[in-house]
Order: sequence, then C-alpha cells, then structure tokens
Amino acid sequence: MTPQAAPNELPLRSLLLAAWAVFMKDLRSELRSRYAINAILLFAVSTAVAVSLGVGFIGLRREGDWINIQSSLLWIALLFAALNGLARSFVQEEETRTGLALRLAAPSHAIYLGKLCFNLALLAILDLVTCLFFMMFIRLQIANPSLFIALLVMGSVALACTTTILAAIIAKASLKSALFAVLSFPLLVPLLVIAIQGTALAIEGATWSEGFSYLQSLIGFAVAMFVASLLLFRFVWES
Amino acid sequence: MRERLASVAKLFIGIWLGGVVVAMFLLVPQYEGLGNAGRIIIMHVPTAWVCVLAFTISAIYSALYLWKNKPEFDNRALAAAENGFLFTILATVTGMIFSQVVWGIFWNWDPRQTSIFVLLLIYAALFALRSAIEDLERRRRLSAVYSLFAFVTVPFLIFIAPRMAESTLHPNCAFIEGSECEGIELAVGKIGLLGDRKVQLLGLSQDGDVVTAEVKVSEPGLTSEAILHPTWSASEGHQIVSPEFPNLRYRLTIMSADMASQSAKLNIMAPGTGILDNRITLYTFLAGIFGFTALFIWMFRVRSKLLDIQEDLQQREGAFA
Amino acid sequence: MNKELQPEHVRLTLKEVGAAYSSRIVIAQLSLSLESGDILVVSGANGSGKSTLLRLLCGLQRLHSGEILYEYNGVSYTPNQASHLIGWVSPDLALYRELTALENLRFFAQVRGLRVQDSQLSALLADVGLGGRDHDYVSSYSTGMQQRLRYAYALLHQPAVLLLDEPTVTLDERGSDTVARIIERQRARGIVVIATNDPRELAWGDYVLTLGAA
Repeated sequence: MTPQAAPNELPLRSLLLAAWAVFMKDLRSELRSRYAINAILLFAVSTAVAVSLGVGFIGLRREGDWINIQSSLLWIALLFAALNGLARSFVQEEETRTGLALRLAAPSHAIYLGKLCFNLALLAILDLVTCLFFMMFIRLQIANPSLFIALLVMGSVALACTTTILAAIIAKASLKSALFAVLSFPLLVPLLVIAIQGTALAIEGATWSEGFSYLQSLIGFAVAMFVASLLLFRFVWES
Repeated sequence: MRERLASVAKLFIGIWLGGVVVAMFLLVPQYEGLGNAGRIIIMHVPTAWVCVLAFTISAIYSALYLWKNKPEFDNRALAAAENGFLFTILATVTGMIFSQVVWGIFWNWDPRQTSIFVLLLIYAALFALRSAIEDLERRRRLSAVYSLFAFVTVPFLIFIAPRMAESTLHPNCAFIEGSECEGIELAVGKIGLLGDRKVQLLGLSQDGDVVTAEVKVSEPGLTSEAILHPTWSASEGHQIVSPEFPNLRYRLTIMSADMASQSAKLNIMAPGTGILDNRITLYTFLAGIFGFTALFIWMFRVRSKLLDIQEDLQQREGAFA
Repeated sequence: MNKELQPEHVRLTLKEVGAAYSSRIVIAQLSLSLESGDILVVSGANGSGKSTLLRLLCGLQRLHSGEILYEYNGVSYTPNQASHLIGWVSPDLALYRELTALENLRFFAQVRGLRVQDSQLSALLADVGLGGRDHDYVSSYSTGMQQRLRYAYALLHQPAVLLLDEPTVTLDERGSDTVARIIERQRARGIVVIATNDPRELAWGDYVLTLGAA
C-alpha cells in the first residue's frame, strides 16, 4: 500500500474512477435492498393502470388535445415516480450515518457524479418500464420514435441534474420525502413545460427539425443545472 | 445624524407613495377600453419589478454568504426573500384583478403568470426548507444553496418555456413605449398563431380604398370559433376597424395588406397599447416604480437589522448559558 | 519545536482555536503543536468538547475562530484538504451495513484512489482482529466487531495522523490490546490524538489535555 496523494492533486481520471466507485457501490446496495427500484416501478405501474382504468385506450385517440393529454400523463407518471426514488441514495447515507465515512474518504465532486449516475440509471429503467406500460395499457402510439426517445432521454438527464443536489439538501433536513417534492417542483416547471410539449410533438409525428428547439432547450437546462450543482454541491455535502 | 437621516427618508417614502396613490386615482386619465381598472397598472408593474429585484438581491446575498460565511449575509438574503414574498403576493393579486377585467378570467397561465406562480412556490419551498432544519448554520447554508439554484432556473422560466408555449400575449407590447407585438404575415387560407390564439385568414377583399379581411379566430383549448372582419385603408396604410376578440378586450387589427400576393399582416392590439403616451400617466408610473423600490429597500433594511439584533441576542444567551 | 521537518514527518498546529455548538461556545482559545511521534490524550467531562475537537481536526466541523494546519512533506493543509493524512475512529462513524467488510474496504480504497490488492485488505482485516470474516455482511457484525472494522477503515490509507474518539468503547480485552498495538505502531508513523476518560487510556498519552477545566 502506498500513502494516498493529496485530494487537490488528484487528476480528473482518479476523480472519475472515484465517481465510478460511488456509482457501483450504490448500485450494489440497491440490488441488495431494491428499495428505490421497487418504489419507482410500483409507481410507474400504478399510474399506467390507473389511467387505463379511468379513460381506457386513450393512445388510440390521435386528434389535437388528446396527444397533449397523453404526453402530460406520461411526464406526470415519470415525475412522481422519480420524486419517490431519486432521493433515496442520499437519504440512505444520512439515515445509516455512513455519510461521514464517505465524506472523509471521497472528494465531493466524485460523490456528486456517482450519485448523479446512479439516479440516471434509475431513470433509464423508469423510462423504459413506464413507456412499455403506457404502450400496453393505454396503447400509446409514437409516430416519431427517434425524436421521442431523444426528448425522453434528455428530459430525464435534465430531471436527474436538477433533483440530485436537491436530494442531497433534503437528506439533511427533517420531513424528507415531503420536502423533496416541495423543493423540486418549482424548479422543474420549465423542464416539464418543454418536455411535455416536445414529447407531444414527437407522439404526433413531428419531424426532427420541428422538435429540435425543444431538445436544445432541454440540453441547455440540463447543462445549467449540472454546472450549478457542481459548483454548489460542496456546500451542501459539507454542512 | 444617521438616525435623523433614516427617519427623514422614511417620511419621504411615505409622502411619495401617498402622492403616487393620489395621482393614480385623481390625475391619471382613464384609458379608453380599460376604464378605471387601468389605474391598477400604476401598482401592478412596480410591485412586479420589486419581485424580480428582491429575488435577485436574495440570490446575491446567498452567494455572498456561501463565499464569506458571515451570518449577516444570510440575514440579508432572508430579509429580501421575506419582503419579496410579500410583494410577489401583491403583484399576483393586482395582476389577477387586471386580468379579470381585461381578459375576463382571473388566471389563464399566461407565461408571466406561470413565472410568478413558480416564484411563489419557490419562496414557499425556501421557507419550508428553513423550518425543516434544526441546526442554524446548516439551515443557512442549505437555504443559500437552494435560492441560488432556484435563481439559475429563472431565465428558463422567463425566456425559454414561454417561447415554447408560443404565447407572448402579456402586456409585453402594451406598456413599454415604442415596443410592438410583431404580428404575423398570413396568405389567404393559411393558419397562424397570434399569442396563443389561432387565426386563419379566410379571404381578402378590396372595395375601393378599404381592404376587408375575413379571419377565423379560435381560442386555445376552447371549441369556440368566431369570424372577424377587420378593415384597412390601402391609401393611408393603417387600420380602420379593429374588431374585438369574442369575450376579450383584445382587438384584431390589420397592419398591412397586399392584394397582389393575397396576404395580410395581422396583429393583436391590446388595450393599454400606448397607455404611457400620456405624460401624466408616464410620470406617475415612473414615480410608482421609484416609490415601491424605495419602500422595498426600506423594509428590507429594517428586517435585516431586526434579524441581526435577534442573532446577537441569541449569541449572548448562548455565551452566558 | 520549530526545527525543519524531515520528509514523511508531520506537524499539527492549532492557533487560538474556538468552536461553537449551535451558538454555545465549547472550545475557546486553544493553541498547541504536535509532531511525529507525539501522542496526545484529550480528556474532560461529557460535553466538554472532546469529540468536537476531533471533528474540528478532521474537518467535519467548521472552526468558529482560529486556525488548524497540517504540515506534511513541507506542504500545509487545512483539515478539509488533509483527509488523505487523517484516519478517524469514532462511535459516530458508520460503514455500509449492506456490504461485506471486504467490499467496504475495497470501496473506500477506490474512492481514495489507492491501488490495493484484496489480499492486502484481508491482511488489514486480520490485523484488526477480523480475520476470516471478510465476506460477512457488516449488518451481521457485533458492535465490537464494527468498532474493529472502523480501525480498518481508518488505517486503510496509512494516515500520518490518527484521531481516536473513545478508542476502546465496546471492545473486549483483546480488542483493547489490539488498539494499544496500533497506537504504538502509529507513533513511528506520525501523530495520535485520543479523546477518552478511561484511566487506562489516559496513560497511553505523552501529553494529557483536559478540556472544560476553566
């Protein structure tokens, strides 16, 4: 064993390796407890089934406002499931008091990046399952699948970039789960407006050039949130 | 000396705002199409401006707190947020009254209404966060982070999301002197959006000097449709008759028409367009902005001072305990 | 005290350090200096600030006033930058219960950027008295075994400064001997600071600092 180098001398590569270690650790914990994944999947299934029971196969209705309704329902399902699961990894560190051990050992940026990746992985599973259920239970038909997938992926990235630092904040407060939704929703409004309208266009069958500005805005939003999180995370984690 | 100056300033702000209110009701002339309701603009716009100012000040002091770690900065940020919250409520209420009178509904998710609603939610979230953290220093740091983080989303709310919604109907074009809504160029048979209203140019006919357009307009989310017939003078190059949208105080107007290419440029004329052309109204309006800004700064200073004193007391108690 | 530091030597300096705990002052105007080979025992009544002092030293709590500096190989670090120099053992320290002991150590080695073989980690576990329990989940460990695992966590990166808060709490006789051995070995490597009120542990220190006496 060689003594460790000072953290401020760590090159980017070891920062990324440390982030990867945090990600793998969270993934392993999650696979053993399956807490977050169960919560979000249950939510996704319940929403799709409830919508289906309530209004039937609305995916078959292709005229104007129905498309917007389908897109809104899809994002509502994603949002609420996400708000149930994404705070988990930080809340667990606080509840099991492992945060101190982690804080002393790992650079804060690595922790942020690792947790962000973990939330992205959760969202990827959530996206996949929710879309499958929407296709099955309400017969959602997507006329421009590639644009739809691009918007969904970018929307999820933006969602993760916004909520990961908020999860770190609420982990240090009381009334955690209620607070997570309260803090997240106002900041997610622009994201939701853009994502819902863009996704509606993709379901309707708009071309890439028509949907591109939505994609651009989502990328801009995600980048802004990511940079702000990187700058601010240290203050959250070290308090 | 300083206290003297402060009380003089306080008196001055009181008299100034009193003057603004008197002018608002007695001096400002009624504006055609708005009636007495138009007077609320003298209140509404300055309070809305103070909302933006307060949120910005709060974010700046939050950043300063994180940087310098001095409790006074957090007290300032909190004072700005609390007073900003009051002004945000004021702006929302005055705006709703205006909206009811002019648009016929209290609330219609106009982009600016959306942003002020989100601003209210952000403040509520900030106060909820503060009350949910026991430890003082941790409370300060986390709420500073949240208000800075929230501040980053604001440009998206104001500039990006509304453009997506393609509705830029809010007084944008009405109150700022010299600015105009751009309008939309349509060929016969084509459909376009004016604000969030769908318009279709059905036909264009010329009778001597008078060009008449036949336009089908429909409300977003509503099934109601109406045919309007705005007219335009070809020789003088401006509109003659601009009919109102159904149930609204907005008018549809022709900005230009070209019979050869069978196309016309249509626009919405909001009531209040050119309201500030009147000298007295303009001055009262500017005085209102100045007065409300001064009022906010005074309230902000009083509140931060109070928080500082509170903090001092707590610390002394701690030292003696 | 101010001689030139040899390479691999470490110096810890506190200048007029003050700490507050939710606006109550617990430590005021504390100044001291430690060098490689020094063992300091901090004692004092409950609530006198022993644990707080250790938390200040590893950067987990912010200073109210004053300054703490580590000097190592001629470079100065504040506690927040010195996490690679510090090993901290405390009842507040918890490791991941849903992972095995070996997985815990492997994870912490990875985030610290260490290149370590599993065999070395197993040797470390055996050293703190957990030999043969590498692949057991931490949730199945007794409190004494968890305390031993904390030592493995703290020694993983061969820190120059070892900060021990109630070092033998929940440990049996053999565990206490292990700790005594670790402390003696650390003397050759750097500094040890122990927070305790146990009479036997008070004897381990070269210096004893009693807090809250004023």
